[in-house]
Amino acid sequence: MDTVLTNTSTLFFKINPSLKFILISSLFIVYLFVQNLNTMIWASLFFLILYYFVSGLSGKWSFWFVLITLIVSLFSASAMILFGKGSHIIYHQSLILITQESLARGVLLGLRTFTFSLIGMIFATTTLPVPFFYSLMQQLRVPVRYAYGCLAAFRMIPIMAEEFMHIRQAMRVRGMTRQKGVKAFCERMTRYTITMLAQSIRRAQRTAIAMEAKRFSMTEKRTYFYEIGWSRNDVYFVIILLLTVALGFVFSSYFPLTPYTNVLDQ
Amino acid sequence: MSKGKNTNLRLNLSDILVTIVIALVFGLVFRLLGPVYDLVKPFGLHLDALLYGIWFIAAPFAALLIRKPGVAFLAETAAALAEMLFAGSGGVINLYYGLLQGAFSEAVFAAWRYKKFSLGIASLSAFAALIASIILDAGYAYLPLLAGWNLILYLVFRVIGSVLFSGLFPYALVKGLEKTGVTQSLRPVTKEDYNVLK
Repeated sequence: MDTVLTNTSTLFFKINPSLKFILISSLFIVYLFVQNLNTMIWASLFFLILYYFVSGLSGKWSFWFVLITLIVSLFSASAMILFGKGSHIIYHQSLILITQESLARGVLLGLRTFTFSLIGMIFATTTLPVPFFYSLMQQLRVPVRYAYGCLAAFRMIPIMAEEFMHIRQAMRVRGMTRQKGVKAFCERMTRYTITMLAQSIRRAQRTAIAMEAKRFSMTEKRTYFYEIGWSRNDVYFVIILLLTVALGFVFSSYFPLTPYTNVLDQ
Repeated sequence: MSKGKNTNLRLNLSDILVTIVIALVFGLVFRLLGPVYDLVKPFGLHLDALLYGIWFIAAPFAALLIRKPGVAFLAETAAALAEMLFAGSGGVINLYYGLLQGAFSEAVFAAWRYKKFSLGIASLSAFAALIASIILDAGYAYLPLLAGWNLILYLVFRVIGSVLFSGLFPYALVKGLEKTGVTQSLRPVTKEDYNVLK
């Protein structure tokens, strides 16, 4: 991730991770109940602007991500556009039936998926795992065993990657990579998955025993190496997020781009 | 262990860590499969619904492996959280789907009081997760507004996919893992284990 992320000192990195997590996940509820196409158009635009300013991704990565996400989001709406119900027919050939209603619904669905992807990306690229799980323990009172379990698990990813390379090298030495056919492929996949899962389980158990041996499960009087607190940045964050959401709603009522204010109406 | 019969069914640190590590592996798999899933979408014929089943795998797999209460829910939720942190496609949506799917999967194992871990129960738990995903999709993706034949195609594909990828597949995986002997130290002690000692 280090090469992908640009600058970890911007505002969105300094926000309390729990606050960011809760507010960003609650946006799901907000936009789940938006049936107004105009609101969704404006909201996706404003979140795109927000994403542009706060995303931790470097420019080139960021551009491709947005483009691909937009295309993919519209793909996901294709079923609704091509085969949805509706009465004002635009195009009809055998099974394909594009109506104005289904087109509006499809575009809304696509934009909704796009907005959620952007929001998810804002969160994922500006949140580092260590402060995030420390904050979950301190602010949201997530039991220490679960939070530290996650942290320990994150540390195992590089080990797993190394193990994957070892298995591949071992297979190459034994000529397994040159075998062709479905059976050989299945054999290779089984060897990868079973070996890596078994090793991961054993490693997790060993780690757990080591943690227990150091009195890890002790719950009272725990101190933390990183103290995650609150700052003025949290206030800025709440204001920025509320402003982005509010602007979407305000613009949709003053500058409606389409006549579809409720796509569920027949 | 000496306090009574139920104490060995509580999750200890080792169970939690094993579950989370497995969930993280699946979170990574979900993240890598996301683009593949998105690529088969554009035809509107729901080929993606066949693949959808893979996203239910964490709960049945963990439950079959560790066989304790709460493991299925924890695994599916942690996998969803991991996918979100890895910036998977869909972002925040994943977390809600993971929470509900995990809860529904868990309910199936709970209904049999965590005593039966057969292929049938695993498939049923995948099916329960499927119901959870459909409940969310009905609101999120306006499922009822699709043309009839298209909706049926979608549902049939999802059922096939979920039973195949999250019922059969995890069962086969756990069977494979049992051969390595790694499961013995994970599961709670059963009556048969005590009988061996007699």
